[in-house]
Amino acid sequence: MAVAEPGRAGRVDDEGITWQRPSSRLLRARRIEAGLVTGLVMLAAGLIGGLAGSAALGLGIALVLLGAGLVSERFLARRVAAWGYAERDEDLIVRRGVLIRRQSVIPYGRMQFIDVTAGPIERSLGLATLQMHTAAAASDARIPGLDKAQAAVLRDQLATLGEAQAAGL
Amino acid sequence: MTSPPSPPGGGAAGSRDDGAVWHRLHPLSPVIRAGRQFVTIAIAVLVLFVANQHHADNDLVIDLIVLGVVLVGGVISWLVTRWQVAGGVLRIDTGLLRRESRRFPLSQVQAIDVIQTGLARVLGLAEIRLRMAGAGASEGRLACLPRAEAEQLRERLLSMSRAPGLAAAGTPAARPGTGSAAGGSAPPGRATRQDAAPQGAAPQGTAGQSATGQQAGAGAQASERQLFRVRAGRLAASIAASRAGAFAAIVIGAMAAVVATTGKPGILASFLPFGLGIVLAVWRQFNGEYGTVIAAAPDGLRLRSGLVETTAETIRPGRVQAVRLVQPLVWRAFGWCRLEVDVAGPRQRRENKSESQRLRAVIPVGSLAEADQLLGELLTARPAPTRRAPAGARWKAPLTYHFLGWDGDDRYVVASRGRVCRKTTWVPLEKVQSFRWVQGPVQRRLGLASVHLDVAGKRVAASIEDRGAAEARDILGRLPALARAARSRG
Repeated sequence: MAVAEPGRAGRVDDEGITWQRPSSRLLRARRIEAGLVTGLVMLAAGLIGGLAGSAALGLGIALVLLGAGLVSERFLARRVAAWGYAERDEDLIVRRGVLIRRQSVIPYGRMQFIDVTAGPIERSLGLATLQMHTAAAASDARIPGLDKAQAAVLRDQLATLGEAQAAGL
Repeated sequence: MTSPPSPPGGGAAGSRDDGAVWHRLHPLSPVIRAGRQFVTIAIAVLVLFVANQHHADNDLVIDLIVLGVVLVGGVISWLVTRWQVAGGVLRIDTGLLRRESRRFPLSQVQAIDVIQTGLARVLGLAEIRLRMAGAGASEGRLACLPRAEAEQLRERLLSMSRAPGLAAAGTPAARPGTGSAAGGSAPPGRATRQDAAPQGAAPQGTAGQSATGQQAGAGAQASERQLFRVRAGRLAASIAASRAGAFAAIVIGAMAAVVATTGKPGILASFLPFGLGIVLAVWRQFNGEYGTVIAAAPDGLRLRSGLVETTAETIRPGRVQAVRLVQPLVWRAFGWCRLEVDVAGPRQRRENKSESQRLRAVIPVGSLAEADQLLGELLTARPAPTRRAPAGARWKAPLTYHFLGWDGDDRYVVASRGRVCRKTTWVPLEKVQSFRWVQGPVQRRLGLASVHLDVAGKRVAASIEDRGAAEARDILGRLPALARAARSRG
């Protein structure tokens, strides 16, 4: 069961799973988020440092934070690239993480409901996050950075599959 | 809507009538509901009285006002609450300003509990709780009914929830149509069940000892087969040997030492609530698990327990999400263990936070042989966690390595972990909600990975920890298909 409108170029891994990737705009969205957070923290910490100590101290703090923001940006690309999902006949696989790598298998029949959310930054880039919920609180199946139309298609597909294969608790 | 068609006394004769009749709760219900408040206030007054003997009067008045408000609220709540069973659905209407009508499809019931607080037992009343799968609010409460009637209603609700085609798989096929068909087919079975139900059960409420009450109840329900009964002495000893018990002993010992050395008991006044809380926690555990009796009945596994407040639960077959065997360090020396089951739905005592990590204990404390026997009743097969973790796991988990292991067949997966407290979890594959493969940085260096099997609820996951990377891959590749086969087998 392939997605009607595949995301980014699927990549086949050594187990024969064709991974679908989030949109390339996800990296941009993450960069904007990181930039905003860094900017705000810089401003706040720099002001506090500047007012409480000297102007040089405030500037120094701000520069250190800017450096930290730039370093974290280096890791963003790898984190975004780690996301992937694959629709198989009976279940959905989602993988993520660089430092701690995770891979979840969720049978369609276990799906309780599906959320599609989009924050302001995601929305401005035409992205959405899709999340599936099962009866288990520990299940995590979140796919960020889907194209809005693609998210809607995927949601409907998953809902149909879930209904067809639904199983009791 | 504030004047129900049923006369106020209708509750007593309720369950013999046609299902569609509206029933009331017992008129003494507000007293029971205020009872918990009453006990709390009594303790608070006592503490205040001991702590500062002069200023207690003012607080007492406030407490009495609180009690009065609670009572009046209870009476109003009783006046506007009514319930009926019709078409395979239990319906509870309540609320004065904000009317609330809740429907509980009986085919979706996970378990039904009959609970008696100490006060309720004196008055011969009992509360019924329906546990549905889902979050905290999805709990149906009927508090309170006369005890005999509560037992009958439980039997009846259970028999309706087991109606053919509905209960077997617990499928979400609770369509109104099939539900009403089930309700229609129920009356014959219901009638016979009522004949078999204990008529002499009501006076038990006045019997002080729960053990005798449970004995009588067990004797009257001839279809039951008793599987396990906890020994009171062993329970007390096991609690003393547990973390909570040891903590309580240390605190009490420290208090006694302080009093002995200083000779002034007054010093402790400010610590009294703290000490009381610890003692209460231990007492609550003892009270809750005292006299636990497990019996197999056609409608499921029956659990009865409690010293002052008694609880009777029925866990329907096929509703067990996971079974866990817990063996704390000290208990292992005595060959004791604890067996817990996980049933979907909220825990029955939400106010007890320390217990929320814990599941319903079917064996609060027992020998391994007893646990093994009950496991045989709960599971059709019992794989043992014999597949040890690879040697590399020693570096990642030097302590827990000793007990790390898993195994599985085509129905169950078992995984064990823990060093101080060994926990072995069995999960039926048909209940698994999702599979998670996780590899942390240390694990990657050592070529290891873990696989978690999540079941409904947030308390249990069978964690197959620290397997070789290839084996973990293989588990993740194989288990979903096995689980699918188990689900379709039903």
